[in-house]
Amino acid sequence: MLKRKSIVILFVLVALLLSACSKATKTDVTTPVKQAANEKTDVPASETPAPPDAARKVLTIGIVNAPVTLNQINTQGSSASLAPINLLNDALLDVTDEAEFIPKLAESIETQDKQTYRIKLKEIAKWNDGTPFTTADVAFTLKLALHPKVDTSFQLNFIEGLNDSGKLDEGVADISGLTIIDATTFEIKTKTPIDPLVFNERFGVKVNFLPQHILKDVNPEQVATHDYFQKPTVTIGPYKFANYVQGQYVEVTKNENYYLDVPKIDSIFIKVLPAANLVAQLQTGEIQMNSLPVGLVPITDYDKVTGFDNVNVTSAPASEPAELFFNIEKLSDKKVRQAIAHALNRPQIVEKLLKGQAEIIDGGIPSKHPYFNATIKNYDYDPEKSKQLLKEANWDTNQKLTFLIPVGNKVREQAADILVQNLEAVGLKIDVQKFDFPTLIDKVEKGEHHITIFTRDYYIEPSLYFTTYKGDKPDSVIRYNNPLVDELIQKGEQEIDEAKRHDIYNQLQEVLHEDVPTLAVYSEKRLQVVSKDVLVGKPLNLGTFNNVNQWDIVAK
Amino acid sequence: MGAYLVRRLLIAIPVFWGITVLSFLMMNLAPGNPVDMLINPNIPPEMRELRKELLGLNDPIYVQYIKWLGELLKGELGYSFSTYAPVTQLIAERIGPTLLLASSSLAVGLLIAIPLGIVSAVKQNSKLDYLMTGLSFLGTSIPPFFLGLGLIYIVGIELKWLPTGGMTTLGGDGGIGDVAIHLILPVLVLGITIAGKKVRYVRASMLDVLKQDYLRTARAKGLTEWSVTNRHALRNALIPIIAVIGAEIPLLLGGSIIIEQVFQWPGLGQLTMEAILSRDYPTLMGINLVAACVVLLTNLIIDVLYATADPRIEFN
Repeated sequence: MLKRKSIVILFVLVALLLSACSKATKTDVTTPVKQAANEKTDVPASETPAPPDAARKVLTIGIVNAPVTLNQINTQGSSASLAPINLLNDALLDVTDEAEFIPKLAESIETQDKQTYRIKLKEIAKWNDGTPFTTADVAFTLKLALHPKVDTSFQLNFIEGLNDSGKLDEGVADISGLTIIDATTFEIKTKTPIDPLVFNERFGVKVNFLPQHILKDVNPEQVATHDYFQKPTVTIGPYKFANYVQGQYVEVTKNENYYLDVPKIDSIFIKVLPAANLVAQLQTGEIQMNSLPVGLVPITDYDKVTGFDNVNVTSAPASEPAELFFNIEKLSDKKVRQAIAHALNRPQIVEKLLKGQAEIIDGGIPSKHPYFNATIKNYDYDPEKSKQLLKEANWDTNQKLTFLIPVGNKVREQAADILVQNLEAVGLKIDVQKFDFPTLIDKVEKGEHHITIFTRDYYIEPSLYFTTYKGDKPDSVIRYNNPLVDELIQKGEQEIDEAKRHDIYNQLQEVLHEDVPTLAVYSEKRLQVVSKDVLVGKPLNLGTFNNVNQWDIVAK
Repeated sequence: MGAYLVRRLLIAIPVFWGITVLSFLMMNLAPGNPVDMLINPNIPPEMRELRKELLGLNDPIYVQYIKWLGELLKGELGYSFSTYAPVTQLIAERIGPTLLLASSSLAVGLLIAIPLGIVSAVKQNSKLDYLMTGLSFLGTSIPPFFLGLGLIYIVGIELKWLPTGGMTTLGGDGGIGDVAIHLILPVLVLGITIAGKKVRYVRASMLDVLKQDYLRTARAKGLTEWSVTNRHALRNALIPIIAVIGAEIPLLLGGSIIIEQVFQWPGLGQLTMEAILSRDYPTLMGINLVAACVVLLTNLIIDVLYATADPRIEFN
């Protein structure tokens, strides 16, 4: 009897436990979902009571890295975060995929001496709550973002009154290089004359603004954790914040108060999914387009996606290349580096692995970039020459080269595997090590590598491509030091005459080509896979959302 | 029993503290840190230094730990290094989906495993038994991610019966039905994995009990075979299974990391991966803390249940 009783008790307990579990989980799950649903209906209901049965236009864009932040003054270098941030925020300027600037909040940006820049704002510009956007917001944003205790991704150290790291010094409240003229006009004075390209990219495109009327009382030391940045409901852009589930999706809805043409698509979802599912969901129609550069459809899937009948597939112009970075401390003889360059069968990678959807260049500047030096002749695939160069350099063939490869980009990993075979074919011994990115960077900073591979960002302003080669960085990826290169880099940064700049950067690219501290492997023509339901709009290498208010999709 | 519980909980405190120290140390020993991974020659070193200072990464490890512990005593877990959201909020958002996935999978797993195990034991060495044992091996040996991708391909893409991932339809109502549809595939995958392992336990445990004398007595009393198996044998056979299920619960929380990735399930597993890849220390510590709690608590509950179920075990 006793046993029986205890068994009954046991069952009751188990049942209770299970039911408690399931009840707890049920409430846990439905509450956030319900809240989300409430928010969704609350937001439009309070402003525009759209008829409930009206067909809504919804676009879902696939991205493979999760946006980590919606903070428009601190994007943390996260390319994935730029997609929602650019939908929510307009800057003074935007860019086209041809790297040309188009005005957004700015009516005009003018300079006579390339040192004083006068910016006129559009008078119609207003925040999505209807409050006019004025120079007071500009001043507020700059003062807050450049406060010494505030973490920001703005890189404005060229502005007068800021220190070398582009911040205000402790105790200084005003930016001497900023002059407010009236409600829609202000001036920025730079420390020295600079190429308008630098100003347009770093100030015009990359500075987003904060609403003073919402954030005026914020304590600078607690900006980062302020609620506003978790739910930035008041912004100035074609879309406004609706919902953000970290690691899942960001939902934005059209800003009915937009100061330019009101967008045609009602809601845009930026949906996070693993690379493996991206192609699958394009096929099922769960997402309607991929995104660049963080929602790449692997070029290895080119044949597959062109076979889907519900999408259009196009190729973007060749983008920023995957590059090899040599540790010059360990590979100090340039003949060895040239030998490596000749050993690589890059045409095979492009033809076989990348199905011809890529081009070969040697330098880091993409071929479409205005400052690309087209006269440089690539190192061709010549294993014999490679062996000969190694002999001339008296290379010890027993020495093992450590090749660090970051995991994540499958195509790049496969390309690296081919490179390793090429290098072994000319008699080099390679120790391949694959790591996640933070681990790889740790090893690179300790100088444990001979060679590593990754892809740099796209920059409009050419000087940004060359910072890597400066000699003053003893723990950089390449540990390179060449006085001539340093001199040319400095000249290029200071030169404001466009023609002269071209000369300097052409020469610089030639010197670097001869010296091979880095070598591009392939420059991918990224696939743009867009559902046939999408009438206007496609992902671009640069400035994808510059006309998002004109985008359109078939209503469902 | 009250005294026993108090004692167990008191012992849990130093264990818990030990876990936090160890995980804090291991996390900091892992190569890479949240600031240096943003390697970009165009970000001046001063800015990286400033960021490290703002995040408190320049303090010695023990100072960082003490600060974290201080926050914990106030009931706070700090702010995520990447999203700047409070860690408590991040975990609160994610724990519900994970519990839903884990408990549904466990229930499905057991619903498959128990009947199969019983049949297998009762018909020992029959063809049916071999089939069941074979299936259970199959269930254990198929990697869950492979099964998941296979199901996504067949059910999601080819047949288009079910969504390929996520917890709700984007832009949909996000109601219970919607969640249930999204739950089917991940639960099936985890359930099959669990069932594969459990069938063999149930079978072995049943076989032990079926040899016992009291069952012969029961049969001698003229009870039907059904009643003997399901009322008399099964109940005793399930007692050791409780311990096995208990051990499964923490594994489920961890084991769903891969499944959550494959199905984009917005649970703790996905948060863990993101936090590891971005070296988001406060979030990682928060997750470790939750995991430690779950393990300690389930162990305690299982011990109590076990003692309640089997009078031969005493609290001491």
